[in-house]
Amino acid sequence: MTEAIQTAILPSEAAKIMSPEGLALFRQELLSGHDPNAPLVLVCCGTGCRAAGSVAVVDKFRQVLSGTAWNGKVVPMIKHTGCHGLCSRGPLVVIEPGDLFYQRVTVDDVEEIVNKTILNNETIARLQYKPANSKEVISKTSDIPYYAKQTRLVLKNIGKVDPTDIRDSIMRGSYSALAKVLTRMSPQDVINEVADSKLRGRGGAGFPTGLKWESCARQEGTRYVICNADEGDPGAFMDGALLEGDPHSVLEGMAICAYAIGSNRGYMYVRAEYPMAVKTLTIAIPQAEALGLLGENIMGTGFNFKVTISTGAGAFVCGESSALMASLEGKVGRPRPKYIRSVEKGFRDSPSNLNNVETYANIPGIITNGAEWYKSYGTQRSSGTKVFALTGNVNNIGLVEVPMGISLMEIVFGIGGGIPNKRALKGVQTGGPSGGCIPIPHTIPDINVGYGKLAEVGSIMGSGGMIVMDEDTCMVEVARYFVNFLFQESCGQCTPCREGLIRMREILTRITQGQGKEGDIELLEEIGNFTNSFSLCGLGTSAANPVLSTIRYFREEYNAHVRDKKCPAGVCKPLFHYEINPETCTGCGLCKSKCPVKAISGEKKKTHVIDQSLCIKCMECYKGCKFRSVIIK
Amino acid sequence: MKVLNIVLNGKAVTAKAGQTILELARENGVFIPTLCDSPALEPAAMCRLCTVQVIEGNRPKFVTACNFPLRRDAEVVTDSPEVRHGRKLIIELLMARCPTSPELQRLAVDYGCDLERFSPLNDDCVVCGLCTRACEAVTGRTLSLAGRGTAIHVDTAFQKASAFCIGCGACVQICPVKKIAMEDVDGERRIILHGRIASRVKLPRCTSCGKYFGPVIDLNQVMERMGERLIPPPNATICPECSRRNLAIKLGRRHFEQYGVFEEEGQANAG
Repeated sequence: MTEAIQTAILPSEAAKIMSPEGLALFRQELLSGHDPNAPLVLVCCGTGCRAAGSVAVVDKFRQVLSGTAWNGKVVPMIKHTGCHGLCSRGPLVVIEPGDLFYQRVTVDDVEEIVNKTILNNETIARLQYKPANSKEVISKTSDIPYYAKQTRLVLKNIGKVDPTDIRDSIMRGSYSALAKVLTRMSPQDVINEVADSKLRGRGGAGFPTGLKWESCARQEGTRYVICNADEGDPGAFMDGALLEGDPHSVLEGMAICAYAIGSNRGYMYVRAEYPMAVKTLTIAIPQAEALGLLGENIMGTGFNFKVTISTGAGAFVCGESSALMASLEGKVGRPRPKYIRSVEKGFRDSPSNLNNVETYANIPGIITNGAEWYKSYGTQRSSGTKVFALTGNVNNIGLVEVPMGISLMEIVFGIGGGIPNKRALKGVQTGGPSGGCIPIPHTIPDINVGYGKLAEVGSIMGSGGMIVMDEDTCMVEVARYFVNFLFQESCGQCTPCREGLIRMREILTRITQGQGKEGDIELLEEIGNFTNSFSLCGLGTSAANPVLSTIRYFREEYNAHVRDKKCPAGVCKPLFHYEINPETCTGCGLCKSKCPVKAISGEKKKTHVIDQSLCIKCMECYKGCKFRSVIIK
Repeated sequence: MKVLNIVLNGKAVTAKAGQTILELARENGVFIPTLCDSPALEPAAMCRLCTVQVIEGNRPKFVTACNFPLRRDAEVVTDSPEVRHGRKLIIELLMARCPTSPELQRLAVDYGCDLERFSPLNDDCVVCGLCTRACEAVTGRTLSLAGRGTAIHVDTAFQKASAFCIGCGACVQICPVKKIAMEDVDGERRIILHGRIASRVKLPRCTSCGKYFGPVIDLNQVMERMGERLIPPPNATICPECSRRNLAIKLGRRHFEQYGVFEEEGQANAG
């Protein structure tokens, strides 16, 4: 974020906090200097809102507000925050007090917001939230179903704090859990608390975090704490948003882990494609060190923990823990066989505890409120909450945090607001390229989202990517897309993954181009099962999941491609054409005006016709027709 | 050393803790096919041909025999139908890459492979990584696995003839599909990889017989590693052949000076 903020953050008199009580006093001091009734503008500066122009909105607010005085004395405050979540409606602005929600705010709206809303308490209806298919506005953020139906434990600070100002995080309680473990808990107490909470790794595999810490703590020698922020699944952005919006929760979680396992060195491995996360961390870590909350002699207790940021070089496979550690060591990021686990022999052949960003971000809450509190969320076997990046064919695209065990339909319809353009839901893909497609609601009416349940239906929790697919999605093409992604991203060293992906891609490409052969589907299954059981690392042993799960639930669609040479969803261009249904066509002419190649002809109020020799199958007429008269043949 | 009780293909055997399955199998005369394994190098488990099934506790899992360390009592099945089927696929897939390898051809017969299933990829390498690992063990800087994902291949840095190669030929010797060539032409040694010259190393000319011989840089490395143990000590100006001949003459002359005659018996003793 801006350089000016970085330097202005810590007043020169800010001395190091020399005791855990000092942190509480510092927090008290900060809170007392803060008027909860003064106006505060929170502008989302997550990636989505930034792309939609939120930085310019912040600048404009600054400019307008600097000449403004609320109640004749106070200059209203403005904060740029991390991702608020409802990315598809950005740039988002929340005005406190009152929790007023404005969406799609542009630079031109700023003056009006300041004059009407901030100074005169008037709302501007045009900027307020309206649910799909409704005209009634919802003014409070917390009343919007998208937010109301979430349980925000990990995301509690995101959108509320300025990630470049540690004081903001401290006011909301950051580092108090670290103070608690340093004063009142032994390392074993911490491990027990985490184990009791039944927190499982949020990176995807769901390994019990407490057990991992316990086994790492038992090892001899220098131990390392590593945070995996190499989030590379297509469509996933939870970890990026966490680091950009609330870096101190993650850093605090790492420090607590370091205390528990007896380490004083931490590494944050962030993918280079997250420049904002890297930047936020490069501001956050020195701030925490300046206050004595990280680094040497933390809060005067003698505990040291130094965190170093390391950036990736664009390889997806480096999200695999052993490849990540190789990359951290400066080697080529290729996985190694893990018959001896990283907690015994990982980074630099030393015991290394690697957890995902979200796992660490869960820790402060568990320490502060206790394992029992944490277990009150979620299910018996999957406790707590999970953050998902909800994307695809869904109205509310964005970050959602829900308790484990929530119904998938509730996520898609209750929180996600359903499917746009009156289309029907066909399935939900979870777990990224290692996951699978869940055929709700047709084959499976609904499932409760948890580690076990997702595995049962052939998918995985994964890091939390959740792609909603409507009826216009071709499952063969989805499988081809993911296989093609892994084809490029596999490290290539072991035969089953490398050769298996080459062949699966070859066959799927053939099928989507209309050259599928009898036996292709069986061959895909044979290669898929082989790749999944013979490969070296986690990427390889799950590489065939998108193929196997789509064949399992959408075999008919595969058959249609191979035998009938038809793509029922109308995606694979050589396998379908559009026609206009004369019975429902009203002759409105919309398709004709939308067609970029003038392939549609017809007089007004009479049935239109598509000239197949001109049609480029761009979908414009199909998507545009209000009567669904353009049909796939 | 802790002794483990292992059931290897239904037979009770004992293993040392930490021993790999491949070592145990070889000790017990059980054959497990391998492509990327070499007794001279650390296992890399890349080809996956040595995959077997292990049951530790109650869950059977596929592991590679070359690097799976036995740490608990376990049951090992090296040749189940599932294992054979997976190996068959590995061979079929690799044969599509490298159909001319005699080793793969032999395996293809053993495993009843269908060689028509996969279209040829016109590559000449099975990406077993033996050459790159051997190179790393010797010089560490010439050959490596380059490229990401399925574009992975053995290469020199920036695809240029490497300046670090010492011309030792370890890569050539270790390649299981014999696709790296070495030739000595016009006073230089060339390593040929993918039909391209991967390195050129100048060869010295023997001051005694005038023939070209092994690269000086390679000899220096051998001397450094072997030291006094080498007889005769390598010489940077004389080829090994002349060097041996000279040594024999020298020893013979000493014998003659001592005893005054050449004797069959005496010569043998001197050698």
